Amino acid sequence: MLSPERLALPDYEYLAQRHVLTYMEDAVCQLLENKEDINQYGIARFFTEYFNSVCQGTHVLFREFSFIQATPHNRASFLRAFWRCFRTVGKNGDLLTMKEYHCLLQLLCPDFPLELTQKAARIVLMDDAMDCLMSFSDFLFAFQIQFYYSEFLESVAAIYQDLLSGKNPNTVIVPTSSSGQHRQRPALGEASLLEGVEASLFYQRLENLWDRHKYSCPPPALVKEVLSNVQRLTFYGFLVALSRHHGINQALGALPDKGDLMHDPAMDEELERLLAQVPGLVNSVTANPEASYLSSRTPPRVASPWRPLHHTRKVDAESDGSTEETDESET
Amino acid sequence: MAAVPVSLPSAKMAAVEKRRPAVAPVAGITDSGRPAVSQAAAVAESEEDFLRQVGVTEMLRTALLKVLEARPEEPIAFLAHYFENMGLRSPANGGAGEPPGQLLLQQQRLGRALWHLRLAHHSQRTAFNNNVSVAYECLSAGGRKKRPGLDGRTYSELLKRICRDGDAPEEVVAPLLRKIQCRDHEAVPLGVFRSGMRTCFVLLEFVARASALYRLLEDPELAAVDRRLGQAVLDTLEGALQDGDEAAPARYLEAGSRLGPDNLALAMDRAVVARRPGVPMLLEEFLEKAAALFIAKVKPVG
Repeated sequence: MLSPERLALPDYEYLAQRHVLTYMEDAVCQLLENKEDINQYGIARFFTEYFNSVCQGTHVLFREFSFIQATPHNRASFLRAFWRCFRTVGKNGDLLTMKEYHCLLQLLCPDFPLELTQKAARIVLMDDAMDCLMSFSDFLFAFQIQFYYSEFLESVAAIYQDLLSGKNPNTVIVPTSSSGQHRQRPALGEASLLEGVEASLFYQRLENLWDRHKYSCPPPALVKEVLSNVQRLTFYGFLVALSRHHGINQALGALPDKGDLMHDPAMDEELERLLAQVPGLVNSVTANPEASYLSSRTPPRVASPWRPLHHTRKVDAESDGSTEETDESET
Repeated sequence: MAAVPVSLPSAKMAAVEKRRPAVAPVAGITDSGRPAVSQAAAVAESEEDFLRQVGVTEMLRTALLKVLEARPEEPIAFLAHYFENMGLRSPANGGAGEPPGQLLLQQQRLGRALWHLRLAHHSQRTAFNNNVSVAYECLSAGGRKKRPGLDGRTYSELLKRICRDGDAPEEVVAPLLRKIQCRDHEAVPLGVFRSGMRTCFVLLEFVARASALYRLLEDPELAAVDRRLGQAVLDTLEGALQDGDEAAPARYLEAGSRLGPDNLALAMDRAVVARRPGVPMLLEEFLEKAAALFIAKVKPVG
């Protein structure tokens, strides 16, 4: 019931740890952007809905990238939203290219950087033949690791390069401070004969990372487990192992196990709710059903295959032009 | 006050920056030479004015203070509830339509008071006391036909509600309620209200811990606690609480040592040394007896 650490923290640390100010600032920002609606519903109502949507994780939909990656909760929420919206791609067994996955990501976050999608694809394709097709679940789990642990992986890449360029691995045991990270990265091809680095050595270097890293890291024990299974490994081999590790997936907490990725009876219902909350969707369809259904601008269009046409109409009929959120908060 | 840092070349950054003045005003040098910046500054200024005028600034300040006071485990959910409650209270919602009946009004008041009381755990003294005061004001506000002040009936009703929501069996908490209740027509001063609320919350936690203790002692074969064992634990507890009337710190230490692992283990060992088939003691009985020890220490009202 009580967690003393929380109560003992200085105010600003408590607030920073839970990103309270980030959300408060964003709430004000959103409020200013929607000034017109406030008079109608009241400010308290606006904030209630904002903070509820943060709790539910629907607050990241169609937001800018800087916001989506701002907190671990936002990242997890975005991963969940991506999975929920495009799960059908996996269900149908469709294979897509990196560019196509990037388009899907951009439907949820218009300024999503291509670089991140590319990095995720590199994990799936082991840094090879980048125009290959990928299954939804392969991409999703690789993307999860790349997106959620972005900063951590950056440091890992630097360490890896450091070890590779250290010629004789035995000389690297001496902790050489972090200055090595700033060195120019050597080409990957240089290590092709060695095939990666020694796992135990790699882990030793990673251990320092957990202490000084202020971003989210995968649990050390699980990473150790991943590394203890092999003698040597390459960078992408390591990332693939991370992305396939179900313990790491569980610790992250955004997605279900790989086996449960496609069937979740409760989710279709949830999806309906989520879509009903999408601002603009319900209204625009009501205003001009035919035209807006054909137009390619409205984001959830791509998600429509699993959602029969009559269903969309039904949602329209129920809402009388006001937003769905309004009705929901009263129940 | 409303100055925006000058190092904002792009409109996008200005858009990002505009949220700043609302929460933490940024002091900077105004550079009127650059039209884009001064325009952004003007926008920021008008937005800050807007936020102040409609009361957002004050509203968020109060909310943030509440968060810091209560330090909830999940501050975002806390804020959602906080604003939800505030929305229910606003005249925009209550004022529309028929005026609510006296009974409904009373229920709303109770709900609001309960919400305030639960914002902070009772061990956070300052926060809890503040919230108790707010709840007291909430309940004692004068209505159309009601004179200001809190009467015994409302107070008793609130106590009952807290106990009912607290998952404690009725017969366990009933003796406490009898002890700290006021008569229906009596006016309840803040001091009595505060100690009543705190006692009630402490008892509920005590009962919760006692039932956790019971689970620990439970004999898997009996699906209950052996009577001698349960009694031994209760006796030890009673012994520790005995002559604890003086609030001297030394008393706390003494009680603590009497409840220490060795002492308790010794008593339990003695109780089970004769290994005869046990007579079970049920959870209700255990809780009732444990609660009775606690309630005996509560000073009656009046």
